[in-house]
Amino acid sequence: MTDSRLGRWGRAELRSPRPLLVILIVVLVGIFASLKPMFLNGPFSISPLITTISIFTVVGLSQMMVLSVGHMNLAVGQLAGISALVMGACFQNLGMPLLLGLAVGLVVGTALGALAGWIIAQTGVNSFIVTLAMNFTLLGLIPTLYSSWSTGQAFTVQPPGFTTLGTGTFADFCLGDTCGSNAVPLLVIPALVCMGLVGYFYSSTRVGRETLMTGSNIQAAELSGVPTRRRLILVHAVSGLLAAVAGFMLAASTGSFTPAIGSEFMLPSFLGPILGGTLLAGGVVSVIGTFLGITLTSVIRNGLLLFQVGIEALNVLLGVILLAALATDRLRLLLAKRRPPKAEESAATLAAELEDAEGNR
Amino acid sequence: MKRLISANNLLLLGVVVVGAALLGSATGGTFFGPVSMTAFFTYLSVPILIGLAQMITLCVGQLNLAVGAIGGVAACAAGVMITSWGVPPWVGGLSTVLIGAFLGLANGLIVVGTRINGFIVTLAMTQILIGVQYGLVGTRTYGSSAWSAVTSFGDAKILGIPNVFVLTLLVAGVVALYFAQSVSGRRLLASGGNAHAAELAGISIDRTLIVAHTLSGLLCGVAAFVTLAILPGVNSSIGGDWLMPSFAAPIIGGVGLAGGTVAVLGTVLAATVVRLVDAASAIFKFDTSAVNFVVGAVVLGTVALGRLREVQAARRASALRSKRAEAALAEVSR
Repeated sequence: MTDSRLGRWGRAELRSPRPLLVILIVVLVGIFASLKPMFLNGPFSISPLITTISIFTVVGLSQMMVLSVGHMNLAVGQLAGISALVMGACFQNLGMPLLLGLAVGLVVGTALGALAGWIIAQTGVNSFIVTLAMNFTLLGLIPTLYSSWSTGQAFTVQPPGFTTLGTGTFADFCLGDTCGSNAVPLLVIPALVCMGLVGYFYSSTRVGRETLMTGSNIQAAELSGVPTRRRLILVHAVSGLLAAVAGFMLAASTGSFTPAIGSEFMLPSFLGPILGGTLLAGGVVSVIGTFLGITLTSVIRNGLLLFQVGIEALNVLLGVILLAALATDRLRLLLAKRRPPKAEESAATLAAELEDAEGNR
Repeated sequence: MKRLISANNLLLLGVVVVGAALLGSATGGTFFGPVSMTAFFTYLSVPILIGLAQMITLCVGQLNLAVGAIGGVAACAAGVMITSWGVPPWVGGLSTVLIGAFLGLANGLIVVGTRINGFIVTLAMTQILIGVQYGLVGTRTYGSSAWSAVTSFGDAKILGIPNVFVLTLLVAGVVALYFAQSVSGRRLLASGGNAHAAELAGISIDRTLIVAHTLSGLLCGVAAFVTLAILPGVNSSIGGDWLMPSFAAPIIGGVGLAGGTVAVLGTVLAATVVRLVDAASAIFKFDTSAVNFVVGAVVLGTVALGRLREVQAARRASALRSKRAEAALAEVSR
C-alpha cells in the first residue's frame, strides 16, 4: 500500500517543475564553480549564500501560505519591516532579552497579518488591494516610528545571543574534536523549522487540508462545513508570522534593525513559490518547491555577482526568469492536455487509487 | 450626465472644496496665490494621468503594476536620446508616448500569449524595466537644460493654468469620450463586466486585453512626457513612487476592482484630493511618510466601505424580494 502511494507521489513529483529546478541548480553550481573556484569558498561564498536562501525561503513560505487559498500578500516586506522595528525597539528602548523581544515582534506581525485576513474575510475585498493598502500604510508608518523611537533611523543594540544566531556557523559547536562546518550558518535552523512546520501543516493536519480545499474551491469547502473565513484569517496570520521571522533573520544577519528591512522581499516571495509549482489560483502548495525556487534564484544572483554583473542586469534577469518559468509551465500544461490519456495507464492509476482508498478506510 | 453627478463625485467635490478652503484659511490666503496654485496644478497632472492609466487596466479586470516602471523607462530613454544621441527635444519628448504604448503592448501580448495572471506579468515586467531604467541612466541625473524647448512648454500657462494641466484635462476628456462613445471603449467595458457574455457577443477578449494594456502604457508615456516637461531632470528614481497614487485615484474615485466600470471624473477628483493632502503636508510640515499612511488608510477605508454598502444593498434587495414572494403566496392562498 505504502509502496504504490510512494510511487504515485514520486511520479507526481517527476511531473512537477521541481526535478527541472534541481537539474538547473546542479548545472549552474557546476558552471559557477568551474569558472570561479571562489564560488565554493565555505565561509566567504557558501555561508552567505545559505544565509540568503534561509531568509528568503521563509519569505517565500510566507507568500505561499496566502497563495494556498488563492490570495496574495503584497505587504510581506512591510510586515517584516514593522516586526523588525518592534523587536528593535523592545531590545533598545525597553532592554528586553532576546526571546521576549522576538516574541513581541512575532505577535505584532501575526496580529497585522490577521487584521488583513479579517478585513478580506469580512468585506470580501480582493486580497491584492487590502494588502497593497496595508503595504502603503506601513510604508508610511515604519520610517515615522523609526525616527521617533530611535536615534539615527536604526536600532543597533544587540541583546545577548543575537550576533551568534545571526552570523554564527556550525563551526562554533563542537562535539569532542569534530566541529560543524563553517560553511553552514546557524540561520539555517529557523528556516528548516519553518519548512518542517509548514510542510506538516499542509500534509498532515486537518486544518491544513481544509485550507487547501478552501483554496481550490471555496464554495465546495464552505458547503462541506469548512469555516472558510477562519481559514482565510489563519493563513494571513501565519503569513504575517513568517514575514516577521524573516524580518528577524535578516536583522540578525546584518546586525541592526533598519527601515530597509523587507524592502526587497516582494519579488522573491512570488518567485520562490511560483517556480516551485505553487499555483496562483490556490489549492496547490509545495514547501520543497518553494525552497528550490528560492535556491535557484539565490544561486543565480550570488553566482553572477561573482562575475561582477551589475544589480540592474540581475533585476532584468530575475524578471525574465519569472516570465519564462511561467510560460514554460503554461506550455507544459497545454502539451499535457493535447496528449490523449493512455487507456491502460489511466486504468492502472484508477486501480491504484481505489486500492489506496480501501487501505485508508 | 447622470453618471457625472453621482453621490461619490459630489462627495469628492465637497472634500476638494472644503479641503481647499481649509488650506486657504490656514495659510491666510497664500494657498490661493498664483505661485502656490501653479505648483498645485502642475504637480496634479502626473497623479491624474497614472490614475487614468491604472483605471483602464482595472476596467478590463486587470492590474498594471508596471505603471511607474513604464513611465520611468520612457522618461529616462527620452532624456538619454536627447542628451546623448542629439535627438531634437520635441521628437525625444514625444517619443515617451510611443515608448509607453510599446511597453504596454508588450504587457498585453505577454498576458494574452501566455495566459499568465496579469498581476504576475506586470510584476515581472516592473522588475525588468527597473533594471533597464537603471541601465539607461545609472546613477546620473540628466538635466532638463538639454530639452529646454519642452520645459518651456511645461512652465508656460494658458489663462493662468499650467499647460501641462490643460494637456492632462484634454487627455482625461479624450479618455472619457473613448469610453462613452467609441466602439472600442464600449468593448473594453463589456469584456470587463462579463468576459463570457462579451465573448459570446462576438468581442475578442484577447484583443480588448491588448488594447487596454497598450492604452494604459500610452498614458504612462504621457505622464512621462509631463515629468520631462516639469522636473529639473530625469534619473533612476522617476516612477518609483507612482504605484500607490495610480491605485488610490481610481479606487477612491469609484472604479470597481472587478472590472466593467470606469469613472474618469471620479479619478480626476480623487487625484485632486490626494494632491490636497500632499499640499497640506507641505504647508503644515508633516512627514511625507505620514501622507503615505493617510492615503493608504483612506484607500483601505474606501474599498471596505464600498464593499459593505454593496453587501447591504444586496441584502436589502433580497429581503425585498422575499417579502414580495411572501405577499404573492399570501395572495394565492387567499
